[in-house]
Amino acid sequence: MSTILDAETFLAIDVGSVNTRAGLFDVVDGRYRLVATSRASSTGGAPLFDISEGVRMALDQLRAITGRRLVDESEVLVMPSTRDGAGIDLLVATTSAGPKMRTVLVGLMPGISGESARRLAVSAYLKVVAEIGLMDRRREEEQIDLILASRPDLILVAGGTDGGASASVLSMVELASLAAGLMPEGQRPRIVYAGNRQLAASVVERFGDRIPVTLAPNLRPGLEEEDLGPARRHLAEVIAQTRAARVAGFDELARWSGGYLLPTADAFGRVVRYLSRVYDRTKGAFGVDLGASQTTIAAAFDGDLCLSVRTDLGLGSALPGLLKHCTLSKVTRWLPVDLEEDQVRDYLYNKWLNPGTLPTEPDDLHIEYALARQVIRSALFLARAGWPAVRGQHASAQMPPLEPIIASGGALSRAPRPGYAALVLLDALQPVGISTLVLDPYGLTPALGAAAGPLPMATVQVLESGSFVSLGTAVSVVGKGRLGRPVLRLRLDREDGGGSVEGVVRFGQLVVLPLSQGQHGRLTLRPERGFDVGFGGPGKAGALRVAGGAVGLIIDARGRPLQLSTDPVRRRESNQKWMWDIGGQT
Amino acid sequence: MSINYLPPVTHVIPLTTIRRERRLPVPGTVTVRVGQKVQAADAVAEAEIGRRHFFLDIARGLGIPERQVAQYLAHARGDRVDAGEVIAGPVGFSRRTVRAPADGRIAAISGGRVLLEVHGEAFGLRAGFPGTVTATDGTTVVTIETTGALIQAVWGNGRQDYGMMRLVGENSGDRLQTDQLDSDLRGAVLVAGTCDHPAPLHQAIELSVRGVILGSLTSDLIPVAQRLPYPVIVTEGFGHLPINPMAYGLMRSNAGREVALDARPAVAYDSQRPEVIIPLPATREMNLPGDVVPIARGLRVRLLRAPHQGAVGVVREVVEEAVVFPSGILARCAAVDLEGIGTETVPLANLEVLQ
Repeated sequence: MSTILDAETFLAIDVGSVNTRAGLFDVVDGRYRLVATSRASSTGGAPLFDISEGVRMALDQLRAITGRRLVDESEVLVMPSTRDGAGIDLLVATTSAGPKMRTVLVGLMPGISGESARRLAVSAYLKVVAEIGLMDRRREEEQIDLILASRPDLILVAGGTDGGASASVLSMVELASLAAGLMPEGQRPRIVYAGNRQLAASVVERFGDRIPVTLAPNLRPGLEEEDLGPARRHLAEVIAQTRAARVAGFDELARWSGGYLLPTADAFGRVVRYLSRVYDRTKGAFGVDLGASQTTIAAAFDGDLCLSVRTDLGLGSALPGLLKHCTLSKVTRWLPVDLEEDQVRDYLYNKWLNPGTLPTEPDDLHIEYALARQVIRSALFLARAGWPAVRGQHASAQMPPLEPIIASGGALSRAPRPGYAALVLLDALQPVGISTLVLDPYGLTPALGAAAGPLPMATVQVLESGSFVSLGTAVSVVGKGRLGRPVLRLRLDREDGGGSVEGVVRFGQLVVLPLSQGQHGRLTLRPERGFDVGFGGPGKAGALRVAGGAVGLIIDARGRPLQLSTDPVRRRESNQKWMWDIGGQT
Repeated sequence: MSINYLPPVTHVIPLTTIRRERRLPVPGTVTVRVGQKVQAADAVAEAEIGRRHFFLDIARGLGIPERQVAQYLAHARGDRVDAGEVIAGPVGFSRRTVRAPADGRIAAISGGRVLLEVHGEAFGLRAGFPGTVTATDGTTVVTIETTGALIQAVWGNGRQDYGMMRLVGENSGDRLQTDQLDSDLRGAVLVAGTCDHPAPLHQAIELSVRGVILGSLTSDLIPVAQRLPYPVIVTEGFGHLPINPMAYGLMRSNAGREVALDARPAVAYDSQRPEVIIPLPATREMNLPGDVVPIARGLRVRLLRAPHQGAVGVVREVVEEAVVFPSGILARCAAVDLEGIGTETVPLANLEVLQ
């Protein structure tokens, strides 16, 4: 849906598992601006199983803030806007809410179609419960029993390049068809076929009238080609239909949005892809959306988007999944205070039970954000497996150069101080070189991604308008050394007569130079031998114009990868000191 | 300022109408009728689960081309067969046949092969609590209704059972300990404040207890509890949290009565959650408890986070302006009069309605 519309005012709604957000945008002085945002409890879960009430509460709050009437007496959205200033011209919506579809992947070849199917699954809100492939050692009957025992909502079949393998693909389709046909009529899964397109008619015939099949473009049209985008869109429609059958209100939201109801992750990824084209094209653009029930990692390299949605990693209902990916010590290593592992584990499980709750005590805050760091790190590690090899990447363990880095999600946006949020991002992502850290405090990124279709100018203008919070420019030094050894000399000349700062940064330090949001300066960096700041190799000096932010100009000389002390006392002291140095102390 | 927050609701009700759906995991047969009174242990529906499948290669078995298989089949799709029964053949001078390896059903016929579905295990769905059948769809769902006390909980290990409730210890926060578990408690449903060691949970197996209700469990014991053969229900959360006063008072006043435990874990986008039902007679029509309760002055609430996690109180007022808490977090909040503690300012997000 890419028809560009003419709209003076538009509304964006995001329905999450915990919060429903609404954002109102207007044309001000010829440019789109964010006018107001609101947030309300999501109501898609028990007891209502209807998102409408959460949407209504969010709209009601917007009305209270702006004084603008958005719905009529029947609580129907007023569209288009009226002369008296009521209503809106366009609604776009995104959602990450709804039960995750239990999915069985049926792919032909491990490492090829099987791998592509898996990558597609992790970029959608799917819960993969079983995988079956051509090289599967289980007998066919066991594979059928596995599918039945998995009780899937969806079977995703992939395999065969266009014009390629047919007999083996149809054999797998036959298996899936047999299994699906054995399920009771009301419990049969949806089928999405994204394989050899020349077999599409045969696939539909195999499943027959009993089980409708959604045909999607081949994930692997050629052996060396992978194209997940078209299949992802078809999958999104299937997911939307299933979700609407289980949770009321989505149909109405889809109607209100005239088809602009997107998965939150897809919309989020659109913005990151756009940014990769307008920022430094030698670097990738990056975004992380840390939610309660999933974590989205979006990385785009010159317009090529890699999207990962982990429904087993999040800071609320998905928290227990973290312990399948790492030990608790990976969480406690981030704490600046001495807390028992048992206490951290109890906190994790209580947060799982009550994902919408907030940490009001300092110790709880530190646990919450230690969990946040490790959830992001675990999701990032899994996402990076699907990233292309990127020019400028120093080693496989290190991140590629990124610019900018966008952070979204309730936990990150409500961090008590900008420095705290910046430290969480630096610890979790460990970027290299020079990056701008940007916080999305109002959850606008998905909204702008959804608006990009009908109103591309709105997306561009709001991104430029200051609705996001720049935490600052971060210079992350790559290299190892003894603690205290000089790693670089710097000079910052602030523009507009703001004065200059010079100094030496030593290994292990986290330094913040004052440079406020809206301020700019010229930064000259002279790294010592063996240390790289992104000017083309270790020891290479350079200068660039940098922007300030809510934290300032951050120099992270703690090394990459970040090595925390194995001595717990020294480690806590380091964590405390870094928090203090970056202005994150509460 | 409109309140845009709907708090979660936990029911702790001394007497109410309780209506619950019991559902088979796969379609089967409902064995009760609407209006029938049932006991907790009564089977209300049955089905076959865990069916397995076997391919029988008819073409190979009979030594014939695939295109000829159809003419030698002795059964059609859907037919039931007994072990040893001929499925296809005889063919040729040697009278070759293919026989069913076990009792089952012809699930599918495709490409010269027969898919045989072998009987699974019989599964009986129990009522879970004494009541009256009020509705059924005949194959999968049975709705049962009763009156009694209802105590909803936050976590369970997935089991169900029914038995006499006995309190262990003196107070709502007392730890469950092995030296408290004597033979007097055999076959009972035990109630204790907290458990932080696996030993009493294992010892309870020796006593054939019908369940354990706790205020809290330390989270390291979750895997232990999940393997226990009896239901474990946690009313407050993980750590060392006493049972909330409302629930404890209700259990204390009903000690010695039969209770039904349904320890099914809460599932997202599903109304199920673990609960304790104490069937009690009612002399008048009791309304079903409401689940949507906007936050308001006078509401009884429970705190979901520290400080004072688990404490119960009454909302004095919902504060207009957001407040900064000691952690630095800014949040909309309410002033709550906590029993035995005093008035505390608590984020709305950390409150749950307890009624």
